[in-house]
Amino acid sequence: MKKQKSEHELFIAKTKRKKVGIMAIQILLLVAFIGLWELAAALGWIDSFITSSPSRIAAMLGELSKQNLWVHIGTTLYECVIGFIVSTALGCIIAIALWWSDFLRKVLEPYIVVLNSLPKIALGPIIIIWVGAGPSAIVMMTVLICIIVTIISALGGLMATDEGKILLLRSMGASKWQILTKLVLPGSLPTFLSVLKINVGLAWVGTIMGEYLVSSAGLGYLIVYGGQVFKLDLVMTSTVILCFLAAVMYFAVALVEKLLKRR
Amino acid sequence: MEILRMDNVSLTYETVESETKAIENISLSIDEGEFIAIVGPSGCGKTTVLSLISGLMKPSSGTITLMGKPVDKPGAQTGYMLQRDMLFEWRTIEKNVLLGPEIRHTLDDEAKKEAEELLKKYGLWEFRKHYPGQLSGGMRQRAALIRTLALRPKLLLLDEPFSALDFQTRLSVCNDVHAIIKSEKKTALLVTHDIAEAVSLADRIVVLSNRPSVVKRTFEVDIDADTPLGRRENGKFGEMFDKVWKEVSV
Repeated sequence: MKKQKSEHELFIAKTKRKKVGIMAIQILLLVAFIGLWELAAALGWIDSFITSSPSRIAAMLGELSKQNLWVHIGTTLYECVIGFIVSTALGCIIAIALWWSDFLRKVLEPYIVVLNSLPKIALGPIIIIWVGAGPSAIVMMTVLICIIVTIISALGGLMATDEGKILLLRSMGASKWQILTKLVLPGSLPTFLSVLKINVGLAWVGTIMGEYLVSSAGLGYLIVYGGQVFKLDLVMTSTVILCFLAAVMYFAVALVEKLLKRR
Repeated sequence: MEILRMDNVSLTYETVESETKAIENISLSIDEGEFIAIVGPSGCGKTTVLSLISGLMKPSSGTITLMGKPVDKPGAQTGYMLQRDMLFEWRTIEKNVLLGPEIRHTLDDEAKKEAEELLKKYGLWEFRKHYPGQLSGGMRQRAALIRTLALRPKLLLLDEPFSALDFQTRLSVCNDVHAIIKSEKKTALLVTHDIAEAVSLADRIVVLSNRPSVVKRTFEVDIDADTPLGRRENGKFGEMFDKVWKEVSV
């Protein structure tokens, strides 16, 4: 008994070591990348005017934070989060409506397929003219980019419900509403979670694309502006912040997933 | 007492391409406490018969009466058990078992008490907080049967309930299910393509023909044994099997 336990402990220790090893290498990679970048810039291997450098990014970050960095971050974050929530919620509701009505689904199918293949950025000018240049246009762009994919993947999940389970519920005399709430929705939770993850990525695409088109504040604005005036430090700094925010949002969704899966 | 009566029931499936006669003029009567098996070649419309009795489908002609009342929609009188256990993975065994009363809005203390007794009696009480994924195939099938019983059905409809199990498990689950049905004094209608299973379980075997199905012949099974396994070991088993098999394959 005692030997068994120690074997198990050994196994745990081994698994733990592996985990720590992976993490160490991950951190090492990042440090090496930043270090090499800085070194190359300092020794003149690369032109830091074009490539910027970690120290210049840090300096820029300090400078920006004294100005209105938080306004830019706030604007982008606001647009992205609103776009994410609206498109996810609306997309799921539409998907449920399409699941509910065969007729509606068949009618709308070709439209959804075409809208899915349309590059949404082509609608940019129309959006600007219709909803005006500003955050609402950017939110709109984000929603447009996310919603079609949301509808298609969520509907796919709803439709994939086991026919046998539906038959079982029907044989018990279940109504369509009961089939939806007792079986189809809880059974589609994994699909819903993967939709969330896809949308986090797409929402950022939509937001930054929207800001490229039309904006007076935000990280996308800073990147475009920096590019125009050839301030690569600004471009790189904004990109780094963007990276960080996207990661934070992804982990937030991953946390939601973990909480929901724990039932 | 007569539980179920089918009179000249026919069903035709309509599709754009064709009309298919699935079953034709089937008449059948089941008394309380009987265990009936319907066998026939695959694709002969055995499952259709169950769908009709459960009220999931309406016959093209003929009448079906259950406890003296015509069947027109899925109702509280039948409990349908399918090939796979169809347990909901996100519900505990207890919650799965209570699905029927929940759907029918009859989930009260009495229903809970009854489910509790069934779970205790048939060895799943300690697993009530487990999820289906943590149970073996045989236990899952037993849980599915308890879920069906929790509906308090007058008639159990079993659609090849063992076909998804491996042979070993199948024999023991078959024994289990038979014992449970007998001890609950339920009436059951089993549909299967497995003749040995039909002979080991049923009091009466109805052989259907190829499509469009008609009742070809009915056999009374008279093998003196208490359990399906006992029947399989009985000398008369082979004889009965042969008779049914010949009728099915002719």
